[in-house]
Amino acid sequence: MSLQAVAFYLMALVSVVSALLVVSAKNPVHSVLYLITVFFSAAGLFVLMGAEFLAMLLVVVYVGAVAVLFLFVVMMLDVDFVALRQGFARYLPIGGAIGVILLVEMVLVATAVAEHGAAAKYAAPLAAGEISNTEAIGRVLYTDYLYLFEAAGLVLLVAMIGALVLTLRHRPGVKRQNIAAQVGRTPAKGMEIVQIKDGAGIPE
Amino acid sequence: MITLPMYLTVAAALFTIGVLGIFVNRKNIIVILMSIELILLAVNINLVAFSVYLHDVVGQIFALFVLTVAAAEAAVGLAILVTFFRNRGDIAVDDANLMKG
Amino acid sequence: MNLSGALSLALPELVLTIAALLLLVVGAFSKKAISMVSLGAGLALTVAAFLAATGPAGMQFGGSYIADNAAAFAKVFIYGFSAVAILLGDRWLKRLDNQSFEFPVLIVIAALGMGMMASAGDLISLYIGIELHSLALYVLAAFRRDDARSSEAGLKYFVLGALSSGMLLYGASLIYGFAGSTRFDVIATAVQAGAQNGVLFGLVFLICGLAFKISAAPFHMWTPDVYEGAPTPVVMFITTAPKLAAMVLIARVLIDAFGDAVEQWRQVVLAIAMISVVVGAFAGLVQKNLKRLIAYSSIANIGYALIGLSAANQQGVASMLVFMVLYMVDVTGFLACLMALKREGRPMETLADISGLFRQKPGMALVMTVLSFSFLGLPPFSGFWGKFFVFRAALNAGLWPVAVAGLVLSVVAAFFYLRVIKVMWFDPAPQGAVAKEPVEAKAVAIVAGLFSAAGIWFALSGLDHLAMNAAAALSQR
Repeated sequence: MSLQAVAFYLMALVSVVSALLVVSAKNPVHSVLYLITVFFSAAGLFVLMGAEFLAMLLVVVYVGAVAVLFLFVVMMLDVDFVALRQGFARYLPIGGAIGVILLVEMVLVATAVAEHGAAAKYAAPLAAGEISNTEAIGRVLYTDYLYLFEAAGLVLLVAMIGALVLTLRHRPGVKRQNIAAQVGRTPAKGMEIVQIKDGAGIPE
Repeated sequence: MITLPMYLTVAAALFTIGVLGIFVNRKNIIVILMSIELILLAVNINLVAFSVYLHDVVGQIFALFVLTVAAAEAAVGLAILVTFFRNRGDIAVDDANLMKG
Repeated sequence: MNLSGALSLALPELVLTIAALLLLVVGAFSKKAISMVSLGAGLALTVAAFLAATGPAGMQFGGSYIADNAAAFAKVFIYGFSAVAILLGDRWLKRLDNQSFEFPVLIVIAALGMGMMASAGDLISLYIGIELHSLALYVLAAFRRDDARSSEAGLKYFVLGALSSGMLLYGASLIYGFAGSTRFDVIATAVQAGAQNGVLFGLVFLICGLAFKISAAPFHMWTPDVYEGAPTPVVMFITTAPKLAAMVLIARVLIDAFGDAVEQWRQVVLAIAMISVVVGAFAGLVQKNLKRLIAYSSIANIGYALIGLSAANQQGVASMLVFMVLYMVDVTGFLACLMALKREGRPMETLADISGLFRQKPGMALVMTVLSFSFLGLPPFSGFWGKFFVFRAALNAGLWPVAVAGLVLSVVAAFFYLRVIKVMWFDPAPQGAVAKEPVEAKAVAIVAGLFSAAGIWFALSGLDHLAMNAAAALSQR
């Protein structure tokens, strides 16, 4: 077995086993950690296929942002996770049966696609050519796919607006720093000189 | 020699586990969200594998957009989950009998 | 690529994007300008609808953007109904003291996503269009963040919507792997050469994912809960524009890309259509909540639209478009009535709430009666013409068993609309005065009622002509 094949089987096995642990772990924090493992090994598979750019992106976006977001939410919400596992055993047999059928069908289709699909005319994956994977993506992403690139930007904007509109709250009565007011403060406005007569006190 | 069906099988397995995870964890929304991420990862493996074996970079562009949208989706999903938790003090959806399902 | 030519073709999208970004900034910096933001959003949508109707036709951005009659037809109505949703929603939220500038901005971005769907020329723009509008809709469904029912609606909508996106994507990846391209025209060539099982497997996944989005049974589980929990103007939005966009998208995928595999997909679509009509008709009978009733009615009506589509020819697609537009007008009017009517400060949501409405608000009761008759397809009203066109197309395509079954089931469904009418006219009214209706909701309701009862006689031939032109653009290849 070549080194590549060893790497493939190792990463495929790790990703599938960790994925099973994601959905079956008792503690959601562990689920998130297993999810990170799945993404790491999937990134390994991407590297194996020669898609380095997406592999790095997967690590940066998922492990760096999405998984951490999940961890934050899991730890922020004070939830009794044991109660949430009710019904797990009840749904497992039917879910498992459906899952096995789905898996068998999809593997059959995957084989069929590989044999009869458009990919059948190439036996091997694309060998590393003159330009790197990143450059190949960069060349088309901002030219041919400009429209979709901009639209994807809007998707992120919607996510930002949505997260803010749903969760941001301005509580009344909380003191906040107002930098504009601080910077705009002048000696003339900030200081008042009062002449005080003896025994008269300070007028309001 | 690693062939295309081998990658597609890994993706099919991850997809199935994702669907299964939604089935068996009906109450735990956080695990459901993670299962959805697994499904999208399976799609990405499919797309990249096809892209590489088709000698066509479009599949990787598609995967790039799926990745972007998946991140946005996770953010919106978790934001809705947080508002739900604030209103009810719990994240169990099956118990939510305000509306009859 | 000629960028300026491409951008001039995508002018409606450009206008909406710039408007959304500008309005976001205006809203963020000026707390008092919320109504101005809504007005600006409505104006931008109107301008975009005009540009879409008058713009040139063509294909740009490497085939991922198509401007043709079908896209123009869909966009005019998508943008129009989005503007109505802003009008109704802005005032409605203001009365609840929950008015915020994000609402019109999110609707504009959602409308942009729906426009992308109507113009989608490949699988990537299909997916991004769907996600762009879905994400905005999830947030809008949960928009009343202090209301537990609204957040629950948002959560359910989100979970099932995300699952359906996953299925759709898995199907898209298989189609890409089989056909070797994401472009519809290339896929069509590959299908023409012989549709293999792999690509059909992918297509089934894709249809299932899209069926979720149009809430066709058996993928309708989210609909009643979301409709009941989400804010009423958002329900009006969800029922109208996104469904038209998704139907046009389905038509484009099935006819443009998979036109040579009609025999294979027709069975799937017909099965979904018949299950939807059955579920909508029978489950609607036991509903007490009017918003849930509308949910089941929308499931049944999507079934009728799919029957029209499964005729798979120009007449079939045109009948589907006419049906969708007429249904959208009716449902907008009905939900505007629900937004307008309040008793003792509580919105009327159940059958018990509207009983005896005729004695207290004869005008609104009359409008709701007209719209209910139109839903059930009684001849003088617009709903009849929608169903007539759909069944005619199905009969002409030789699908007479389906047409007969649909006709029988629409008689079953008639009962629940008749019950609404009976409750309003003959049942005693409960205690409590009915509040005065807000102007804009009343106006929308009356316009919809007038269109349904009388305007249809003037609009029908024009609408049919436009729909035929739009359908011709789809079945060109």
